[in-house]
Amino acid sequence: MMISSYMKHEHRACDTLFAQAEEAMAAGDWNLADERFLAFANETLRHFKREEEILFPAFETQTGMTQGPTQVMKYEHEQVRGLIGNMAKAIEKQDKDAALSLAESMMILLQQHNMKEEQMLYAMCDRQLPPELKEHTLESMKKVAL
Amino acid sequence: MFNQQGLSLDQAPPITVVFRFFLLGSLFGILSGVSLFVYQTDIFNTSSIAAVTFTHLLTLGVMLSSMFAALFQMLPVISGIKLSSPLKKANLLLYPFTLGTIALLLGFNFPNMKWLFLIAALLLSFAILTAITPMLKELLKLQNHTPSSKGMGIALLSLGIIVFLALYLLSTLSGIIEGTLYTQIKTAHYSFGLFGWVALLILSISFQVIEMFYVTPPYPDLVSRYLPLTLFTVLILSTFISLFYANIWIVSNILLVLLLTLYALLTLRRLSQKKRPLSDATVWFWRLGLSALLLSLLSHLLQILTTLEILKPLSYIFFASFALSILFAMFYKIVPFLTWFHLSSQGYFSAPMMHEIIHPKTAKKHLYIHLATVVTFVLSLFMPLFIFLAGVLTVLSFTWMAYQLIHANKRYKDTQKNGEKFEMGNM
Repeated sequence: MMISSYMKHEHRACDTLFAQAEEAMAAGDWNLADERFLAFANETLRHFKREEEILFPAFETQTGMTQGPTQVMKYEHEQVRGLIGNMAKAIEKQDKDAALSLAESMMILLQQHNMKEEQMLYAMCDRQLPPELKEHTLESMKKVAL
Repeated sequence: MFNQQGLSLDQAPPITVVFRFFLLGSLFGILSGVSLFVYQTDIFNTSSIAAVTFTHLLTLGVMLSSMFAALFQMLPVISGIKLSSPLKKANLLLYPFTLGTIALLLGFNFPNMKWLFLIAALLLSFAILTAITPMLKELLKLQNHTPSSKGMGIALLSLGIIVFLALYLLSTLSGIIEGTLYTQIKTAHYSFGLFGWVALLILSISFQVIEMFYVTPPYPDLVSRYLPLTLFTVLILSTFISLFYANIWIVSNILLVLLLTLYALLTLRRLSQKKRPLSDATVWFWRLGLSALLLSLLSHLLQILTTLEILKPLSYIFFASFALSILFAMFYKIVPFLTWFHLSSQGYFSAPMMHEIIHPKTAKKHLYIHLATVVTFVLSLFMPLFIFLAGVLTVLSFTWMAYQLIHANKRYKDTQKNGEKFEMGNM
């Protein structure tokens, strides 16, 4: 399996979870929104952990690029983590306007981020990592828990 | 810790670049509304000066300016391209482009001052070619192409071709050359303009943004990979063949209509499959734009098959409605997001949220104004007095757009001046 197809699949799964959480926020069903947002946040943070602890170090070691694309991606993860925190607060306060506004920012930010990863970083990983290391990286990523 | 500057912001253009081009577009839009009070329903007579001026006010003044705004923003995102010194590049485009467009519009209206066409030719070709050459070069260097980045490249190439075709037309108008192929080149010029540039750029961007903004299933590979290239090939072949056999455009127009109808129906279907629950104004702008495209294509097809005069202006009105609707759809996503993104990337805790920059209700109001504008344009084909109302609504619509930009810019500057900043050095 290619790294890009595995990671892309995770991106799409997070998108679906996010859309479900947003649906509950729009409907004003705050208990459901809370539950679904938690599922989205957990899945996203686990995905980030997979990247930051396994994939990025493998890429950096293989290419020697420690100040390049992985740094940009880690910085964007920080931005998303910040937004997750703000959204959780808005859901807790049941502030629909703030929650939906943050959801809009989150969606665009995440999608721009995903696009960069899918088009550049994952493609570079698939090209640069030797097959065995790629297999090992994928297996290690699958084992990551929050 | 991460160095904030020069990381993710590095790939985003300075906010002023995007704002300036959108503002220029809205100012030309206001001017187009004002021009309706002078030209009135003459704009529907396609061979009149009024029609040529009005068309260029919209295509060159409004659409190209705004598309450059969107392009400076979308190019780094869609293709990962980082344009060096974007502000310098933007200025090198903005001023000659503005002056060139004004010279062209004046040239159309003062036929004795042929030198205006020469100035327009020099300024516009310099501005546009200087802007698109580095973009095309960077796109060519890309190792991982997506359907969007490939489509954008083809659209930019079309824009380059439009400029060369326009140079032939302007050389003829200014009396430098005889222009024996004037009619054929003119047909190629507007066909490339409407299909090769406007439609192709919109569909290339949509392959990415429809899925991204609204969480829809992706476009089928066959469509996203091959549609842009097919459209471009039809245009190129038709242009060459038309030099010997002008009627080829009838065949190619039918083909283009069918291909774009497929695209519009497919995109409407994708929007109906979106996973995000809310239909904000931008979704409706897309739906309105795609429906207008379908109506434009239908009128265009009927016009080829029948001799009904009204179909021609009808297909133009709907095509302009298509392009402007998509422009507004992109505008209401790009401006609030960029304002928030730049401020929060600069570390401002108090960065306003997207809804505080432009509230969805504000965008919805613009949607109604825009819809009313389209309806009054159509009505004015039957009751000419409606053209004045169309003029008022066009001015209102673009003033609305300009006001949102000024407001967003004010929020941006205010936050920079008074906002509480997160200093990385304190960590």
